Amino acid sequence: MIPLENARESRGAISTCTRSWQTYIVSRLHCESESFKMDLILDINSWLYPMELGDKFRLVLATTLREDGYPDGGDWNAIEQEGGSRADSFEYVMSGKVYRIEGDEASNEPSSRLSAYVSFGGLLMRLQGDANNLHGFEIDQHMYLLMKKLAF
Amino acid sequence: MVKEQYRETDVARKISHVSFGVDSRHNMERQAHIHVVAKNLYSQDSQRTPVQYGVLDKRMGTCSNASNCTTCGKSLNECIGHFGYIDLELPVFHVGYFRSVICILQSICKKCSHVMLNDTDKKHYLTRVLNPNLGYLSRKALRKQILEKAKKTSVCPNCKDLNGTVKKAGLLKIVHEKYKAKKKIDAVVQEKLAEYNNVLEDNKQLEGILQSGLVNILNPLEVQGILERIPIYDIPLLLMNPNCGLPKDLILTRIPVPPICIRPSVVSDLKAGTNEDNLTMKLSEIVFINDVIQKHRQSGAKVQMYNEDWEFLQLHCALYMNSEMSGIPLNMQPKKSGRGLVQRLKGKQGRFRGNLSGKRVDFSSRTVISPDPNLRIEQVGVPIHVAKILTYPERVNPWNIELMRKLVQNGPDVHPGANFVQQGKTQFKKFLRYGNRQKIAQDLQYGDIVERHLRDDDVVLFNRQPSLHKLSIMAHKAKVLEHRTFRFNECVCTPYNADFDGDEMNLHLPQTEEARAEALVLMGNKANLVTPRNGELLIAATQDFITGGYLLTQKDTFLNKSQASQLASCLLAGPDANMNITLPPPAILKPYKLWTGKQIFSLILKPNDKCHIKANLKTKGKAYTSNEELCINDSYVIIRNSELLAGSMDKSTLGSGSKQNIFYVLLRDWGEDASTTAMWRLARIASYYLMNRGFSIGIGDVTPGQGLLKAKQELLNAGYSKCTEYIRQMEQGRLVCQPGCTEEETLEAMILRELSVIRDHAGKACLKELHPSNSPLIMALSGSKGSFINISQMIACVGQQAISGHRVPNGFEDRALPHFERHSKIPAAKGFVENSFYSGLTPTEFFFHTMGGREGLVDTAVKTAETGYMQRRLVKSLEDLCLHYDMTVRNSVGDIIQVLYGGDALDPTYMEGKDCPVDYKRVLDHVRAKSPYKNEEPLDGANVIKATSELLSSDDYSCLSVEFKQELETFLKSVARKIARLRQNFDSSSPVTLQLERLTVSQLVEFIHICKEKYMRAKIEPGTAVGALAAQSIGEPGTQMTLKTFHFAGVASMNITQGVPRIKEIINANPKISTPIITAALEIDSDPEYARQVKGRIEKTTLGEVTEYIEEVYLPDDCFLLIKLDVDRIKLLKLEVDVNSIRYSICTSRLRLNPKLVNVRGDSIITVTPSKQKCSLNYALTQLKETVPNIVIKGLPSVARAVIHNDDSSGKTKYKLFVEGDNMREVMATMGVLGRKTTSNNTIEVFRTLGIEAARATIMTEIKLVMENHGMSIDRRHPMLVADLMTSRGEVLGITRQGLAKMKESVLNLASFEKTADHLFDAAYYGQKDAICGVSESIIMGIPVPVGTGIFKLLHKAEKDEPQKRKLIFDDPQFHKKITGT
Repeated sequence: MIPLENARESRGAISTCTRSWQTYIVSRLHCESESFKMDLILDINSWLYPMELGDKFRLVLATTLREDGYPDGGDWNAIEQEGGSRADSFEYVMSGKVYRIEGDEASNEPSSRLSAYVSFGGLLMRLQGDANNLHGFEIDQHMYLLMKKLAF
Repeated sequence: MVKEQYRETDVARKISHVSFGVDSRHNMERQAHIHVVAKNLYSQDSQRTPVQYGVLDKRMGTCSNASNCTTCGKSLNECIGHFGYIDLELPVFHVGYFRSVICILQSICKKCSHVMLNDTDKKHYLTRVLNPNLGYLSRKALRKQILEKAKKTSVCPNCKDLNGTVKKAGLLKIVHEKYKAKKKIDAVVQEKLAEYNNVLEDNKQLEGILQSGLVNILNPLEVQGILERIPIYDIPLLLMNPNCGLPKDLILTRIPVPPICIRPSVVSDLKAGTNEDNLTMKLSEIVFINDVIQKHRQSGAKVQMYNEDWEFLQLHCALYMNSEMSGIPLNMQPKKSGRGLVQRLKGKQGRFRGNLSGKRVDFSSRTVISPDPNLRIEQVGVPIHVAKILTYPERVNPWNIELMRKLVQNGPDVHPGANFVQQGKTQFKKFLRYGNRQKIAQDLQYGDIVERHLRDDDVVLFNRQPSLHKLSIMAHKAKVLEHRTFRFNECVCTPYNADFDGDEMNLHLPQTEEARAEALVLMGNKANLVTPRNGELLIAATQDFITGGYLLTQKDTFLNKSQASQLASCLLAGPDANMNITLPPPAILKPYKLWTGKQIFSLILKPNDKCHIKANLKTKGKAYTSNEELCINDSYVIIRNSELLAGSMDKSTLGSGSKQNIFYVLLRDWGEDASTTAMWRLARIASYYLMNRGFSIGIGDVTPGQGLLKAKQELLNAGYSKCTEYIRQMEQGRLVCQPGCTEEETLEAMILRELSVIRDHAGKACLKELHPSNSPLIMALSGSKGSFINISQMIACVGQQAISGHRVPNGFEDRALPHFERHSKIPAAKGFVENSFYSGLTPTEFFFHTMGGREGLVDTAVKTAETGYMQRRLVKSLEDLCLHYDMTVRNSVGDIIQVLYGGDALDPTYMEGKDCPVDYKRVLDHVRAKSPYKNEEPLDGANVIKATSELLSSDDYSCLSVEFKQELETFLKSVARKIARLRQNFDSSSPVTLQLERLTVSQLVEFIHICKEKYMRAKIEPGTAVGALAAQSIGEPGTQMTLKTFHFAGVASMNITQGVPRIKEIINANPKISTPIITAALEIDSDPEYARQVKGRIEKTTLGEVTEYIEEVYLPDDCFLLIKLDVDRIKLLKLEVDVNSIRYSICTSRLRLNPKLVNVRGDSIITVTPSKQKCSLNYALTQLKETVPNIVIKGLPSVARAVIHNDDSSGKTKYKLFVEGDNMREVMATMGVLGRKTTSNNTIEVFRTLGIEAARATIMTEIKLVMENHGMSIDRRHPMLVADLMTSRGEVLGITRQGLAKMKESVLNLASFEKTADHLFDAAYYGQKDAICGVSESIIMGIPVPVGTGIFKLLHKAEKDEPQKRKLIFDDPQFHKKITGT
């Protein structure tokens, strides 16, 4: 069997970090990627995982946490997976669902920038970028987000 | 063994109609058993036995258990009573028919008793009158016509005798003024007067009253003679029915004595003697007077005494029938007014409304209510105590005999027990408290009936007064509980309008299986989650559930595994106790496993994987700002496949009064069970979550912080300084007036606006400054209770106290309170309260606040009474309108009110979109989400359109209406366009781009199928009582409206009446409304100058307004009035007048000036010379000077004011005119006004000018406007039906007693509404037959109502046994005598 191409890696830096006034636990990060010209809006629990303006981090989106790439069937309660877990090497992991992919409707000229929306139990992520960089996305897809801070 | 089917009471004895008539003397005797003659009630013995032939004679029935009726021998319970009669010595007028008698006398000749019509008229009317199909209303109209015609005839065409006017003269006296129309010198009059010559010679003093000799007082005896002589062929012309009563019967010569049982005597132990009923007393008095007259007659008493007693008899007979007569002379007035026969019938407690339309029932209970969030939506907690008393008769059959045995054994005192057993064969009822229950249980047989206690899941009806709409009584399933109160889930509070501050509610237990089934399907509260008023959800989460849902779905609510599991386990209760719950993967896996509140919330929609419910919703919440789900307040709710993906739930997504509600979506897409279960789960989860989290208010929550105080102070300072600025401007006279206002009014309006804004701003400041954990703030944000204004009042500033829309008026001399300077206009002196409830009010502020509070109290008190009456009238007039099988709306007699209900035959309950049965966008999203059809290729734009038109033209969809198909197609075309555009913009090489607006064939088919299903479901069912629904939908919101008037949009000075008073005006069809306004569109609506010109043409302008001065000029040879016109002003006002036109106006005015005397002298000067009159020249001139300024020189005299309104809504400023006044016809005809687009808010005026259809449209829009103004939405079909009913007879009929009498034929219906006695007497006069077909009548007669499930009847051909002809005895040859003859 061939391991599925199921993880997408991205490095990014936080361009702005806003805290909405009423939620203290959750912060909304506005980030830019270094490589793919992608924009990211991400809600994270900043009590668990504090972030500062200008922080750089590595972000991986994956459909499974298994190191071998087989689908994990959404089993979150397994104590120890065989072959280890991808989460082991990351600091902050969320699981959620892709629920919307939309194109830029306002403009009429051809462009290929798409936005993919993912909800991690209400913590939202919007990833904006070129269609080619988002080609693995599919609506109703289960998705893991893995994050790790990078040193400069 | 088949259960016996419920049948209507014996079909052989169906009531076909009730007929009314006047009883004849002879009939009364026939119906009576005795002739009552004795005036005493009791004989003078100690037993108190009634006197024989007295009014209490035992032969008329009995009123005590001690003795039986001597006529029928039955006891108190069985004897129905027997009539007696009293013969009056002299005939008297009947109060009820007095008016009719006068009318008859007016239309017949007093000599020959023929109807005074000439032969052709007589023939003409006779043919019309004798038409047996003539309706009640047309009979009434005909009678009026004939009366009018006959009244005018003064010479009888038959006997050529002179006839004068007949009228009422004092109390129950009729006078005939035979010679009134003739001049005094007329020969006939002289002749009559000559008759008195003899007397005059003897007594000269009589000359003064000679004139009264010309009038003739007709006493009852004479009248009786006249009426008796009316020829039988003339009786129909009086619209009487000779079979039901003759004119002579209208005079009383004999009165029936009613049975004892309706006038029982009460024996009191305390004092010797009895308390007799009013009727008994009155009757015995009548017998007594009768006696006296008889004695007088025998002894030959004086005429005066005789007459006096006759009058007395007349009065008492009248009082016996109607004790509330007016106009009784003081000396004859009865000391205490008892209850006459009429009083027994009329009024709320009277026979009609109190005993016939509403009856006391068995199997009902009433107690205090309390909340219980653990009960499911459809349940009601019933105390054991109640459950043991309410019983249900259950028939024993093989499947329940064991259970029944057990119940019987338990008996009446243990809860699941039974109170009675009725044996099938013997019909003998056994009470189970006494007797051997074991044995009875053993002897139980199939077919016996066990009256068992109420038990769990019995269907019961639950009701709270006032029952303003159909949702005030709903069927629940009983749940027997401990304690003493009825309990139900708080979600059901809204339809009942119940709270738990001591409210009581009623519970009824239906007694047959049919009743239970019908109650559950039609009245079940699960079947009534949605109100027919506008199709919005009425049963939905309330108060704490919203707060809980809001807090749980906040973005920063995280739960660890134990918390999440515990909260999820709240769902395990009741029928779901053994349910599996699939806890979703935690949103945060690392560093700790944490679930968000939204994930737990999703469990209430879909607790496990086996649950197939996939709800989809995408909507803005209360606090939505922008950017869809990335809204900073997290208020854009996305629920996809029962998963809450974004947004926090609040009032708009959980509570009632919205269609973008998760429970509404569940209800529409997955059915009522899914919806109520979810609601119940929310109730449990939210209350448990709140209990754990804690939610309370303390003093800290209402203590303002430094920042808030500062913000408030700034607001106050800014507001105050603005107010002082305005005041200064006014003092200096620099204030710019608003159109149509004085300076003072302008100032008041501006200051009031400024001050009201302060409170709102303070509320906003609170929102900014308060900590997000502040409990009142959370409640306001979630919408569960309270508003920002309430918070602002508690914490920051109570604000301006307004009384009827203005600042506090002056209660003292030139000031509101003596604590302030006179004429002071500063905020504090006029009721501005700058303190908060926390900081405390100063004495003056407190006083102002109480003034505002009292207004509110008075308002609610007045409102309830007023709306209650309005509701009653609405329901009474609309109750019998129902939808028939041909989709027409008809009333009970079959008149068509609407040809197609609402124009589209759709049920307002099922409107998902705005006036449309499907919310296309939501349904399409729903289909896309729930059935992904992952393997299919998405369609492109062109194919979508093609597939749609192909599908819609297929046979399956032929049931859809053309309009609906068109709407559907338009929507799908817009979707196709969108898809096409996206396909064009993105290259389709990448698979991800195909995900954009993905729509596959199967999805499209499914979507159209769902739309069809929804449309077909929304088709209204025949039998629906659409009238009652409309009445309730308009009446019920009335109770929530405040009586206040609101400003007209944009124009401060033009108030139009709003709220309940306005609704009342509309449905009463008042010709004079309090604020008539004509909205006139202009031919050129973009030019303000033009608008001003037209305004000048319409608005009343008097001469005084455009004159500079008016002078009296005295010259040696002449004197005149000199009027100098203010030409600049005329120019400025764009008035189209000049000197000549003004001269014309003066000449044509009411002053009747001679045109020669009014002269134009130059461009701006007119002189008026007073005419030579009787009075002095000086006086004439002064008078002229006073009256001339009031001459209308331009405009419509009835229009006091017209205001130019500029409408900026469409980007460009558009002008139109608001004209105060009623003359719509003239306004429309004014040059510059666009007549086709001119409307008025006065329905009667519109009817007069434009006709009935326009009036109908006006009624509809006006009702809608008022409702919208108060933030209440009503489906357009309800006002439409009301308008259609009001205009269905070709004129605008109000929903009042006058209007109702013109709409309804049924006497019983009218009698049970208002003016009970009048309608009954009228019906008797006409000999009216009431075919029992309406709702009220059927209820009164105890017949199932022909509306709803009662609209159809089962026709079944019975195999009748032909009655066999018996053989005649003598046909038998056996009995034939042999004829042997020779």
